[in-house]
Amino acid sequence: MILRVVSLNKKYQHIDGEVDALKDVNFDVNQGDFVTITGSSGSGKTTLLLTLAGLIKSTSGIILFKDFRIDKATDGQLSAFRKNNVGFVMQSFALIPYLTAIENVMLPLAIFNRPKAQKYNAALELLQLVGLDNRKNHLPKELSAGQQQRVAIARALVNNPSLILADEPTGNLDPSLSADILNLLKKINREKKVTMLMVTHSPAAAEFGNTRIHLQNGRIDNIFSKEIKMNLEAVIN
Amino acid sequence: MNVQKLVWLEFKQHKSQLISGLLAITLGIAVIVGIRSISVVSEKAVAINLDNLGANILVLPQASNVDNYYSADIDAPTFPEEYVERIATSTIAGVDNMSPKLTRRITINGQKYVLTGILPKNELASKPIWQNSGLFGAELQASCGESPVNEDLGYKDEKLQRKSVDSLAMDDCMMGSSAAQRLTAKEGESVVIEGKTFKVAKVLSETGTIDDDRIFAHLHAVQDLLGIKDQVSAIEIMGCCNAISDGLLGKLRNILPDTRITTIGQIVSTQIQTNKMMNKVSFVFLIIIIFVGGISIGNFMWANVNERRKEIGMFRMIGFSKTIIYQMLLAKAFILGILGGVIGYIIGTAAAMWLGPEFAGLTVNAIPALIFISLLISIAVSLIGAIIPAYLAGKIDPFNNMQEG
Ligand SMILES: Nc1ncnc2c1ncn2[C@@H]1O[C@H](COP(=O)(O)OP(=O)(O)O)[C@@H](O)[C@H]1O
Ligand SMILES: [Mg+2]
Repeated sequence: MILRVVSLNKKYQHIDGEVDALKDVNFDVNQGDFVTITGSSGSGKTTLLLTLAGLIKSTSGIILFKDFRIDKATDGQLSAFRKNNVGFVMQSFALIPYLTAIENVMLPLAIFNRPKAQKYNAALELLQLVGLDNRKNHLPKELSAGQQQRVAIARALVNNPSLILADEPTGNLDPSLSADILNLLKKINREKKVTMLMVTHSPAAAEFGNTRIHLQNGRIDNIFSKEIKMNLEAVIN
Repeated sequence: MNVQKLVWLEFKQHKSQLISGLLAITLGIAVIVGIRSISVVSEKAVAINLDNLGANILVLPQASNVDNYYSADIDAPTFPEEYVERIATSTIAGVDNMSPKLTRRITINGQKYVLTGILPKNELASKPIWQNSGLFGAELQASCGESPVNEDLGYKDEKLQRKSVDSLAMDDCMMGSSAAQRLTAKEGESVVIEGKTFKVAKVLSETGTIDDDRIFAHLHAVQDLLGIKDQVSAIEIMGCCNAISDGLLGKLRNILPDTRITTIGQIVSTQIQTNKMMNKVSFVFLIIIIFVGGISIGNFMWANVNERRKEIGMFRMIGFSKTIIYQMLLAKAFILGILGGVIGYIIGTAAAMWLGPEFAGLTVNAIPALIFISLLISIAVSLIGAIIPAYLAGKIDPFNNMQEG
């Protein structure tokens, strides 16, 4: 087990009153899982992802990454945790406009003390993986939307994370590009054994997960696991 | 890719915006450097033995500018050379020595020099009418001895202006060290001044004053050359201390109409006041740039941070700690500080070197040591100005990136 969430609650303070964004959320994620999180807009998907990354403080509950208490960690500990264990993929790509593709991929390594060539080669290898090594010196604005998201995925992988958090990674892409990106994420999940948590709107995309969480008004109203299903089928038969 | 590289790439990206952030600090540094460069020269000019000068009287035209002792006679209006005779033939006692001068700025090969016509001792003495007046016999030390204090400090008034020259031919000239250097003229060689050829009779040793840029020639040759016949711009008089306190200045004023008669000591002390004021002005400027420069750098950095909110949020997201964000912004401020210091130094020095000769008649040299002070002030001000924006940048929510649709 890589991630355990117990009785997680998140209340936002707002001038219009409190918002219960997450209510009593419980689930476990195993190493190598591909978890998809669905739910209508405002159901708390993004909040859940950000809380898991330690980017938002939870109101109560426990979040464990291996044996690290994310809910209790300091800002510095959380920075180190993200630096070493987490990769992010965002709907808006969030590439740095003045950096080339390969520089964007190398960005997370800027705070690692490693030889220059090693950083460069790691980034180049990942650009090859996402099929963009021939665009390494292009600026984001010189790339298509699908290509930009591929660069962002390469960037999410460069620090060899055990966990990738993706918030609607295909939200800004048309369907055929979406399928490419989803297949790429699946390939990474399978080949690199990276645990994947992906928020998505689309039911088709949710099919990629072996664990599927559905949120409604901040609560998990349905959790589906292929393994449990298989085990149940085995028991029944 | 490391953090320094990242700062540098961002810096290069936004270099067109730099001018607004750097303007105040650069101009502030330029003003301080400019004032300092000029006042160093003018402080040098007064670093002379005041006691020795106490007995020196300067006769200048009424309209001349006496703010600066070394340039008081440059381009001043003129009065008749005949005044020398008037003093010599008067019954005024206590005048020991006289030296009439005509000084004008000239250009040789596009460069500026100061040409001063002087009358050598032998010529003054040879005028029969003065022979009886006993003007040139006595040495001055008797009446105006050197102060032992100054001797201890090692002051020696070796500036040529104060010394009389025994003889000077009509086509001879003497050159200040820096003038000789600029003209690459050596003793014995000849040089063309305003169309006339002069032989360089002597290259004078360096004094650190405007004298270094002067070329001295015979008064009458200079008068001919410049077409200012029988006119001089100053007469220096050695007077005895006792005579000065007995009202020598007033007596001279009576016989020399339309002149301004003052002791060099007075001029020098006026100049010391001016220098003190310049130092005060640069202190005030220092305070101003610390405020205006710091605020304008802070404002620039804050605009930069705001523009890059998403970017900084991204950095935080991928594990950059607050400390690294602070470091990145302070590193940027540091680069700004270096730029402000260097550019300010260059502008200030250039302005002083151009304005000094133009307005104050002082030859201003670049003072390399000022670059360190410029950098120090500029970097300190930039860093101070960037503290608040850097602190606020550390507070940027890392998740802005995720929440917008
Ligand atoms: N910073 C915030 N302050 C107050 N309320 C917020 C804030 N961010 C999100 N919310 C509220 O929390 C709920 C969950 O939001 P979010 O996690 O973004 O939903 P989703 O990603 O599923 O669309 C919504 O009702 C939203 O309005
Ligand atoms: Mg969302």
